[in-house]
Amino acid sequence: MLIRKSERRPERAKPSSAKPSSTESGIPSSGLDRRTFLKRSGVTAGALVAVGEIALHGVRKAEAGPPPPVGAPVTIRKNICTHCSVGCSVIAKVANGVWIGQEPDYDSPINRGSHCCKGAAVRDDVLNERRLRYPVKLVNGQWTRISWEKAIDEIGDKLLDIRQKSGPDSVYWLGSAKFTNEAAYLNRKLAAFWGTNNSDHQARICHSTTVTGVANTWGYGAMTNSYNDIRNAKTILLMGGNPAEAHPVSLQHILEGKELNRANMIVVDPRMTRTAAHATEYVRVRPGTHIATIYGMLWHIFENGWEDKEFLSQRVYGLDEVRKEIAKWPPKEVERVTGLPEAQVKHVAQLFATQKPATLIWAMGQTQFTTGTANVRASCLLLLATGNMGMPGAGANIFRGHTNVQGATDLGLDVTSLPLYYGLAEEAWRHWCRVWEVDYDWMKSRFPDKKLMETPGIPSTRWFDATLLPKNQISQPNPVQAMFIMGHGVNTITRMPEAVKGIEKLEMLVVCDPYPTAWSVLSERKNGTYLLPACTSFEMEGSRTNSNRSLQWGEKIVDPVFEAKNDYDTMYMLARKLGFADLMFKNIKVENGAVSAEDILREINRGGWSTGYCGQSPERLKAHMRNQHKFDLVTLRAPKDDPEVGGDYYGLPWPCWGTPEFKHPGTPILYNTNLPVKEGGGTFRARFGVERIVKRKVMENGQEVEREDHDNLLAEGSYSVGSEIKDGYPEFTLGVLKKLGWDKDLTAQEREAIARINPADPDKVSWSTDLSGGIQRVAIEHGCSPYGNAKARMIAWNLPDPVPVHREPIYTPRPDLVADYPTLPDAKQFRVPNIGFSVQKAAVDRAIAKQFPLILSSGRLVEYEGGGEETRSNKWLAELKQHMYVEINPADAAERGIVDGGWVWVTGAENSSRARMKALVTERVGKGVAWMPFHFSGWYEGNDLRAKYPAGTDPIVLGESVNTLTTYGYDPATGMQEPKATLCQIRAA
Amino acid sequence: MARMKFLCDADRCIDCNACVTACKNENEVPWGINRRRVVTINDGKPGERSVSMACMHCTDAPCASVCPVKCIYPTEDGIVLHNKDQCIGCGYCFYACPFGAPQYPQVGNFGSRGKMDKCTYCAGGGGPEAPGSAEEYAKYGSNRFGEGKLPMCAEMCSTKSLLAGDGDIIAQLYEERVEKRGYGSGAWGWTTAYHEDVKS
Amino acid sequence: MTAFARIRTAALLLMLFGLTAAPALAQKLGPDGAPNPTASVTNQKTLLERAPRIQGRIDIPDVKASVLMQPMGRTWDYFHEVLLHWGGAAVIVGTVAILALAYLVMGRLRIEAGRSGQTIVRFKAFERFAHWLTAVSFVLLGLTGLNITFGKILLRPLVGPDLFSDISEIAKYVHNFTSFAFVTGLALITVLFFRDNIFRRVDIDWVKQGGGFIKSKHAPAGRFNLGEKMVYWLSVGAGIAVSASGFVLLFPFYGTNIADMQIAQVAHAIIAVLFIALILGHIYIGTLGMEGAFEAMGTGEVDINWAREHHDRWLAEKLEAEGRRASATPAE
Repeated sequence: MLIRKSERRPERAKPSSAKPSSTESGIPSSGLDRRTFLKRSGVTAGALVAVGEIALHGVRKAEAGPPPPVGAPVTIRKNICTHCSVGCSVIAKVANGVWIGQEPDYDSPINRGSHCCKGAAVRDDVLNERRLRYPVKLVNGQWTRISWEKAIDEIGDKLLDIRQKSGPDSVYWLGSAKFTNEAAYLNRKLAAFWGTNNSDHQARICHSTTVTGVANTWGYGAMTNSYNDIRNAKTILLMGGNPAEAHPVSLQHILEGKELNRANMIVVDPRMTRTAAHATEYVRVRPGTHIATIYGMLWHIFENGWEDKEFLSQRVYGLDEVRKEIAKWPPKEVERVTGLPEAQVKHVAQLFATQKPATLIWAMGQTQFTTGTANVRASCLLLLATGNMGMPGAGANIFRGHTNVQGATDLGLDVTSLPLYYGLAEEAWRHWCRVWEVDYDWMKSRFPDKKLMETPGIPSTRWFDATLLPKNQISQPNPVQAMFIMGHGVNTITRMPEAVKGIEKLEMLVVCDPYPTAWSVLSERKNGTYLLPACTSFEMEGSRTNSNRSLQWGEKIVDPVFEAKNDYDTMYMLARKLGFADLMFKNIKVENGAVSAEDILREINRGGWSTGYCGQSPERLKAHMRNQHKFDLVTLRAPKDDPEVGGDYYGLPWPCWGTPEFKHPGTPILYNTNLPVKEGGGTFRARFGVERIVKRKVMENGQEVEREDHDNLLAEGSYSVGSEIKDGYPEFTLGVLKKLGWDKDLTAQEREAIARINPADPDKVSWSTDLSGGIQRVAIEHGCSPYGNAKARMIAWNLPDPVPVHREPIYTPRPDLVADYPTLPDAKQFRVPNIGFSVQKAAVDRAIAKQFPLILSSGRLVEYEGGGEETRSNKWLAELKQHMYVEINPADAAERGIVDGGWVWVTGAENSSRARMKALVTERVGKGVAWMPFHFSGWYEGNDLRAKYPAGTDPIVLGESVNTLTTYGYDPATGMQEPKATLCQIRAA
Repeated sequence: MARMKFLCDADRCIDCNACVTACKNENEVPWGINRRRVVTINDGKPGERSVSMACMHCTDAPCASVCPVKCIYPTEDGIVLHNKDQCIGCGYCFYACPFGAPQYPQVGNFGSRGKMDKCTYCAGGGGPEAPGSAEEYAKYGSNRFGEGKLPMCAEMCSTKSLLAGDGDIIAQLYEERVEKRGYGSGAWGWTTAYHEDVKS
Repeated sequence: MTAFARIRTAALLLMLFGLTAAPALAQKLGPDGAPNPTASVTNQKTLLERAPRIQGRIDIPDVKASVLMQPMGRTWDYFHEVLLHWGGAAVIVGTVAILALAYLVMGRLRIEAGRSGQTIVRFKAFERFAHWLTAVSFVLLGLTGLNITFGKILLRPLVGPDLFSDISEIAKYVHNFTSFAFVTGLALITVLFFRDNIFRRVDIDWVKQGGGFIKSKHAPAGRFNLGEKMVYWLSVGAGIAVSASGFVLLFPFYGTNIADMQIAQVAHAIIAVLFIALILGHIYIGTLGMEGAFEAMGTGEVDINWAREHHDRWLAEKLEAEGRRASATPAE
């Protein structure tokens, strides 16, 4: 019916005499060139298809985008996106030192050219005009420009002054998950040389509970498989994660895997998220009922005999005690607590246990609770009971948050450990002192005493409590008086009204960040505040460890803009001022104040035996980046015959055993006994001894008697392929090697190095303290995991709840359940009191849930990241989400007369807190639940703080922080906060 | 002859907006102009689907048809380009466009429109500027197509939901996907844009 | 939030609820009664069966961007490029043809009694100003409007694309800004001539007597005859309609959505074409078609004989009034 003219060709206004044919044929003059180009380049338009199935590497020229200035050569540099832990490669085009465009990196096996909106916009992270350009300090409430030298000088003097009068523990070193591995390590080293364990970063509020929970189950606290490996899964269960928004590129693997395997994809979440939209089944739960849900599933699994009996008997310890707990969760009780009907729980349980391999994916939907560690442990129980561990397509796929939160955690930006999980015991300090080539006694002298040297520091969630609480309530000489923050927001930590008081009480606040961050505007501080312009990770080189433990080396794309400095150089300047630069940088090259990142990584390699950070030399990592296209999409492995990266797994996922020369390929799947250790296989780690002595009451001749059992913690009949020991075995020491007669395989140099480590008793030198790597090498040559072969622990007797126990959130909407499921008693943890029990009891007694009837949960948006200063300043991202909002169910909104897009006041259960934002009326949240993104700041209790930013540095989008409203609640094992489940009330503004 | 098209596989689209910022970054599109956008249907309810949408480079493009100055035209590859020098900012293409693609910078009072801007399939502009020149870039954005590359939105799509390229090939890819996985909500907009549909 | 925005939000909400309440959304359920998002029925076919547009949620503050698809654009294209082109051309060319025919058949209507040489004031200066303000702006609007529709067919091949584009851009601004003059003129005309255009008994007689076209009969009329009254009322009606629809288009998305604007444009175009046809007739009768008519709006004074033949009652009233005034004059 549509009548169309046949004339469809454009008419050219100004026929170019050079191309007379263009007007004649009606084809734009430019069109000719395009087509001839296509023909010449051998790429016919018909073959042009932008899909992952077709590899286009090799033929691509990276020249599109803004044309470079005439005559300027374009160089291509590769770095890693800084916005989540997937680890997408970013290709940058640089001309005349300016980043002029991005190109998709089809070679990367992780993102295959893809990005989310953040990755596709990272160029503006660097070019951004709102970045802090030079150091400033507050002088009587005015931001005043100063030089770097003067800033470091003044800051150093003040730090030394505080150290002098209050001790080193009164300075808090808050680091960042956006550090490179090298910067994270250096930051931890700086705190150690300063003499405190008050050194933390975002992992505290992100996956501290995962690391603790998972490591206490099977040895290491990390994602066991990889994003790519999810392609092998038959059942994908997401509990407490929304990767479509938090890790969008991971959905490429999840959805393709789901499609190819016709896999079950089950999302269990309080919100119908963008991830849930693609699930085969969506289960809406009440926030804070993870353990009850898992036990509900396990109840059905054991009831129906769906458990993996062989796996349980060979590789798991402690099932009996867990079954006692499971017995407390029949379907009726599960429904009473979680609201989930029996059929649904049973169905999900059946899929997970029988449609194998099944993987369990989680993020902060499990971790950010007072029961975070127990939640994660419950997840481990489910995986172990169903035998979904240590093989492709299964495992705990724990999605970490930031670019390098895995690496920064590994490298010890943590109050409980030195780099690479060595802990804080004397042996750990001695190990690192050997690596650093400093005298142990000197190191000890940096601390007030040996006890504090070996005592975990204050978690980042409690820094303001450690500032505000009376001295006698804090287990260190004095409260915190100065914060030195590198790349960490304040608005991602709960209880902001108290943080504001904390900021005001500090003697000095130093924020080293590309942006001023909310730290700079929240308080009424007038002096003693310094903002130092850090460069972004794109302006420096170094390695990053993504969530699946792969290390990727990023090249410096452009020099730091304005007066920004990279983290290495800043820390070097500070160390010089504090007087220990020569010792701290003893084996790290510094040229004209420029620190060598490669040297830092080599130092990490020299000390990183415990976690297998020893094989990833800068040279190997760079070879991987050069040869990205050779790695398989699913297995992540390069062909064995490749001269540069033959047989390696992409990014040498830790543990990558031995020295770089040993050429271990990395471990793509942890605890996988189907591969030899030398090829990336492994066993559960023997981290908790070889046996456990338990006193049990048993019936003997009709009488109850107490018996002492020696439970075997080592694996039974399970071992990795090629292992010469066909059973469980303890971790390797020189002594163990000797018993096996394998010590003769050690070279003379290795023997000598081992003897140097412990001249008195060399037999005690272990795989993790042997600086030669010899013990690891020999164990692996005999097919054994250096760390031993043990059972995973269903019962973690060193944790507050050895077997996970459901406990209601501190501010629960179900006070009726508190009597049955109270939180743990008050106690002192991490140098500060945790009064969660009293707070919970008071909330029940005062009927808080009546005044604040809505559950408040928070989470992530795809456009923004973390505290959000950087992404809210990015002009391409900020346009997409211009307001802070609260999601509210249409029924709750209707009751309150709230319309979609209208302004509301949200009030919180503590501190008479309130926040003004827009309402987003949506069925994403169920009735009785409100949800907010946590990336906003710059408004506080209805006031716009834009004017308080240093001129020109205010982010484009400002808004209220959800953490103005969040409340008390800390996981006893890690100090994790509880922003995922609290209470609030909402009314139309 | 290859016929360039877009196809958004809504069963893959996760509303991550990578296509949106990739477009902005590659073409330096100013604030307020959205050549590409993602719309979510049935938000928060079962059946929620997100679809990335921009100019579909229609067959018998209605924008070109209604343009009173005939500044919009299809190239031989089926890409609908326009000449901003000739555009008078009348807004007719917006009334005619089934996909809300044309964008106008707000200039002057009473909503009067500046020169229309829309997705160019990263193929530069339809004006007299030399392909790949700085002048062309400033007016229309990048000319990837001239270098044998596809639109940045599709190249950077997080889940390979947004497909670009020869219509026959992307249709075939989509159909293979649907066959493999057993479901598909269809090629959104294809019947309206191209008078044809994919098998699903 | 502006009032418009509020209305729009409310409408949007209603629309969303309307959509979501539809039973067609019944999604497939899993064996345990859980909703199965993948297997549900969100596809464009069912959505378009339910509503003419597919609309969803978008986070950028641009309501129109939340419309994912509106196939009606193609329908509007068909109206604009086919119906309007052919229909508009038919109406305008047809009107011109009818007028030409009338001229050929009837010739110019002469003042039967010949000119008396005496004139009488028919329109005062301000009335003429109002008329010409409206008339000039109408012609400008008409020509620029026709250019938008027919220029690419008629003018573009003559002047070339670039010059045509420049002309059209100027024409667009002329059209947009002249609209205000037109509205002003229209308002003045409406008020100034309102009383004399009220229908009266005499109008029936006028029709019975053939409206002045039958030379043997005399059609009685007041200041305005029924024909003129028709032009007045039709012009006022069309003027209001064309202005209203035009302002909707001039302020896009101020309380309107894309469908409203399409409807507005269709109304604007149809009314404008008919309006042009009407005014063509008006111009004909006021110039070529009738001797002595143009002077009324030209100098403002008409010949007494012309007035007697076409507006006898008005003349009578006028003379009576003047006579009264004249008789009063000597007293000065």
